[in-house]
Amino acid sequence: MAFARSRSKLVWDIGSYVVLILLAFICIAPIIWTFLTSIKLEEDIVTRNMIYIPTRITFEHYVNLWNQSGYPVLVINSMITTSVTVLICMLTGTIAAYSFSRFHFRGRTQLMLAYLIVRMFPAVLMIVPLFIVMRQVGLLDSSVGLAVAYTSFLLPLFVWMLKGFFDAAPKELESAARIDGTTRLGAMFRIVIPIARNGLLATAVFVGIAAWNEYLFALMLTTSQGSRTWPVGLQLMVGEFQLPWGMLAAGGIISILPVIVLFALVQRAMVAGITAGAVKG
Amino acid sequence: MATLSIKGVRKSFGSVEVLHNIDLELEDGGFLVLLGPSGCGKSTLLSIIAGLEPSSGGDVVIGDRTVNDVHPKDRNIAMVFQSYALYPTMSVRRNIGFGLEMRRVDTSSREDAIARAADLLQISHLLDRKPGQLSGGQRQRVAMGRAIVRNPDLFLFDEPLSNLDAKLRVEMRTEIKRLHDRLGTSVVYVTHDQVEAMTLGTKVAVMKGGVIQQLADPQTIYEKPANMFVAGFIGSPTMNFLTGTLEQHNGGLALHHGSAVLALTDIEPGAEAFVGKQVVAGIRPETFSKGEGPSSLTGTVDVVEPTGPDTMVVLDVGGQMISARLGSRERPHPGEPMTLNVDTSALNLFDPDTGNRI
Repeated sequence: MAFARSRSKLVWDIGSYVVLILLAFICIAPIIWTFLTSIKLEEDIVTRNMIYIPTRITFEHYVNLWNQSGYPVLVINSMITTSVTVLICMLTGTIAAYSFSRFHFRGRTQLMLAYLIVRMFPAVLMIVPLFIVMRQVGLLDSSVGLAVAYTSFLLPLFVWMLKGFFDAAPKELESAARIDGTTRLGAMFRIVIPIARNGLLATAVFVGIAAWNEYLFALMLTTSQGSRTWPVGLQLMVGEFQLPWGMLAAGGIISILPVIVLFALVQRAMVAGITAGAVKG
Repeated sequence: MATLSIKGVRKSFGSVEVLHNIDLELEDGGFLVLLGPSGCGKSTLLSIIAGLEPSSGGDVVIGDRTVNDVHPKDRNIAMVFQSYALYPTMSVRRNIGFGLEMRRVDTSSREDAIARAADLLQISHLLDRKPGQLSGGQRQRVAMGRAIVRNPDLFLFDEPLSNLDAKLRVEMRTEIKRLHDRLGTSVVYVTHDQVEAMTLGTKVAVMKGGVIQQLADPQTIYEKPANMFVAGFIGSPTMNFLTGTLEQHNGGLALHHGSAVLALTDIEPGAEAFVGKQVVAGIRPETFSKGEGPSSLTGTVDVVEPTGPDTMVVLDVGGQMISARLGSRERPHPGEPMTLNVDTSALNLFDPDTGNRI
């Protein structure tokens, strides 16, 4: 009986691990494949017989990408756009999320739903009106303009996520702070935000990654090298008569590096933020 | 130190009025307890005094200043919350000194004040810890330290002991009383625990449904409750309510309940008007003694509960259950008949229609 139970447990464990490993492989394999492609010689990439593990390693794709294609400018543009997006979201979204969390004003629920509705439309639907607006205010083809466009659909995500973290901070703490001598806004900055800092970090990282990887808006709203971001720049390397697989792969790897570094730095705080309030502390 | 006056304060949430025309006066250095069941509006009233909630009408006067439109930080009050509300990201030292920090008190005087408060509450060794590293009782002390360090005009306590275990609760209750005696600052204290109210308060306001049912010193509240709600709410076990008819008896008045006749002494003047009518007599369990007397009730013993110092007996008197607190040596057996004498000088009469004291 006990033997049968341990045997069925073993089968169950093996089954679980097979599924998990398979899923992990599906997730990681493209990244590994991109990396392997980026360090192969050009003639080893497109071959009659597939070369899985490169026998000859080169970094010429990285060097070429960096020196010849203007890729550094693309990365810098992406960094500026992402930073401005996160900054706008932090400045406006934090205060908005706090108001939604703490004040019960007329139209509060409707306003929050309106925030969500923006996210329910397909992005393509937003692009045409955004394009016209941006052209009229002269923000077309600029990093700031693109950041404003990103904010239009990332701010709702930011506010909704952050509101959850603010809701979890006990209201009595602010009452105590207000009696201790702070204003309402002072209580928010001195007490609530330090408590919700992991949540704020997690939310900012989510928004930052979304802005970093965004493609469609960047394609439509930027027209020159001066403001183009890396996903668009990378795609434009695909020419009519050439397909530089090595450089594309190198570009892909360089682009995900900041995300990986960011995750590595803040993952502990992020996990703490995301799971905050999920269980009794 | 300051007096507190609350004049005609009302509070509505939408169309629901939760506080109806509250009037209160607290003398300088007094200890006012707001007592009542959950949802009676006592915490809302405290929030209005603190300035955390705006009132819908009426005035709050602290000292000689009407503070209706004054920000909480400018009312010179300190508050201890039920959840303690310690700032989790700050050390105990900074938690206690935060109010002074916000008032731009210089570092050396701040440190002195923190050290004095910590010394008074015996938490000097905890100053560098975070609230998360403290036990419930220690957190409670830190919360009190944060309140006393500022030397406020008025202390507000919002059920500060309800999160503590029974033993610690008694200890901290004594501590609060000692602190009040030593500092002499006026206190408003919210609780639903009648023992806290009776032991701490110089004045107790019993509330129900947003209305103050009675405002008096604890002894008066206990001995002369204004109505049946107050009578039933205060005291454990609760007061017995015995319905009977008021009749003339040997030149005085007596309550007839079945065959029992309770001759009344120390009768309030208004009672004459109820002769021949139904009234409710409120009898405290400790006013019973075993044996025959001038006013006695006979019934069958239903339950016997020895508590150590006393024996609680539930007696079935003609279908009505009566609790009596008898001496610890009394050990009647369930089912046997028993006669109890009532000290009718401590008896309260209520109008059964309004529930008010006669």
